[in-house]
Amino acid sequence: MRRRVVLVDDHDLFRAGVRSELGESVEIVGEARSVAEAVPLIRELDPEVVLLDVHLPDGGGAAVIAQVALERPGVRFLALSVSDAAEDVIGVIRAGARGYVTKSISGPELVDAVRRTADGDAVFSPRLAGFVLDAFRSGEAAVDPELDVLTAREREVLQLIARGYRYKEIAARLHLSVKTVESHVSAVLRKLQLSNRNELTRWAAQRRLI
Amino acid sequence: MSTAFSKGPLSLPRFAREERGRALGGVCSGIAAGLGVDPTLVRLTFALLALAGGAGFVAYAGAWLLLPLGSEPPHSSKRRLTGAVLLALTAVLGLRGLGLSDSVVWPAALCAGGLLLARSSDTRGARTTVGIILIGLGVILFVDRNFGEGANATLLEPSGVVIALLLVLGPWSWRLAGERDAERTVRIRAEERSEMAARVHDSVLQTLALVQREAGDPRRVAALARRQERELRAWLYPDPHAEGAGLASAIDAAAAEVEELHGVPVELVRTGDVPLDERVEALVLAAREAMANAARHSGADEISAFVDVGDQEISIYVRDRGSGFDPAVLVDGKHGIAESIRGRMARAGGAADLTSSPGGGTEVELRLPRST
Repeated sequence: MRRRVVLVDDHDLFRAGVRSELGESVEIVGEARSVAEAVPLIRELDPEVVLLDVHLPDGGGAAVIAQVALERPGVRFLALSVSDAAEDVIGVIRAGARGYVTKSISGPELVDAVRRTADGDAVFSPRLAGFVLDAFRSGEAAVDPELDVLTAREREVLQLIARGYRYKEIAARLHLSVKTVESHVSAVLRKLQLSNRNELTRWAAQRRLI
Repeated sequence: MSTAFSKGPLSLPRFAREERGRALGGVCSGIAAGLGVDPTLVRLTFALLALAGGAGFVAYAGAWLLLPLGSEPPHSSKRRLTGAVLLALTAVLGLRGLGLSDSVVWPAALCAGGLLLARSSDTRGARTTVGIILIGLGVILFVDRNFGEGANATLLEPSGVVIALLLVLGPWSWRLAGERDAERTVRIRAEERSEMAARVHDSVLQTLALVQREAGDPRRVAALARRQERELRAWLYPDPHAEGAGLASAIDAAAAEVEELHGVPVELVRTGDVPLDERVEALVLAAREAMANAARHSGADEISAFVDVGDQEISIYVRDRGSGFDPAVLVDGKHGIAESIRGRMARAGGAADLTSSPGGGTEVELRLPRST
């Protein structure tokens, strides 16, 4: 089944590259190069997945999600960026993206990530896993332990992602099903999005300031 | 308009009589142009002064003598001196004629003299300093005489003069402050721009030139692009850890070296940082060796490295999806793994584990307990 995808990125060359790489496997139904273009387009097309650049000329990917997510709950966002700035990446995830991959990702991996996103799974690149581990670094006791602390298993899964393991490899190594691995990653994503832990904000702020 | 402020560190306006839009000798419109205010305000000031014992008329005559017309060269120094003396005298006389006591007039004369001195020099030299001191003295004298003990002067009439001057000088000084800020902003922008241009020239343009020359060698082109990307990233998204002298920056450098030497990208992910000491340096060297081995022998097109600084220990994982091998039949000649990795880690008080299988890639795991 070909997924319906909208591609939001202000670099024409990059959009052309993604189009040719995804070509057969997914259906790119629309393209936009700014927040202002993307919002009405996504409302109109109601795609399954939006491939979203973290940085756009008139705002960020987070702005697109903020304006669309409530009225189009079925649309899922996958952040795609060259940016390594932790606060940008965490920012777009906190806004509601289902995952983050770098633009250097290979074609087949991107197709896989799109499929995963469309299925409602979380897509963590090694780098994102590193950021999240850093952000949830064991610190002082959290207010809401249910939300604010990663379980040992979740931490283990994230560490394996950071080490470059794919979900299938993680499942084999931890003697779990791939589905279970996916649900652990989704749980981490939920914690990341719902946690109002001050530490997250402080962590991001520190990285900007120092 | 801004040309009036272009010269001299104090940015005081240059005055000249204005030919266009003049009512009499162009004195008022000239001063207004210099200050950047409405000529009517200046005319009003002169009119107010004229009411004060006719001082306005004499002042006007002095200014007419002193100021050149439009863009013409300044008058002879004799004429200018006469004008200045006339201005000063008439100002003093006029103020006394207003009914001001000496306690007002002489401070005012001090201030005026100070202002003239400060203006006369285009550099921040001694004369400017003396001028400012004179102004300060004048103000102190004025306050002391009029608001100190036994002050008896009526300030009603002088306050009229003060208000008249404020009308003119207020908007001017406000605008001057604004222009200073704008100038500063422009300068900062220019500096940023030139830094950016230097950066682009030194790195990006050089790399693009190399890429064009080596277009036939995809591996080399990829390596060039990769190095350029790393440099730009470090500059655009400075990472506090990467700047420091700790484990993070050392492992960054090691990964970069391996990429450079072997042309295989290293996908490095790390959390936290610790200061470098002998043991941590040994860890970095072992990790570098593991990355280099993977680049040399595995045939993988990418290496993953993960540095995890935990509370108890530091772990580094180096993984590839390359050819792999059977660790059991590992020939002893592979000096790299035996000595550079295992031996080094053991001496530092840590450990190294190797997992590999033919066709299944290789992972090296390095662990170092954190010293307390």
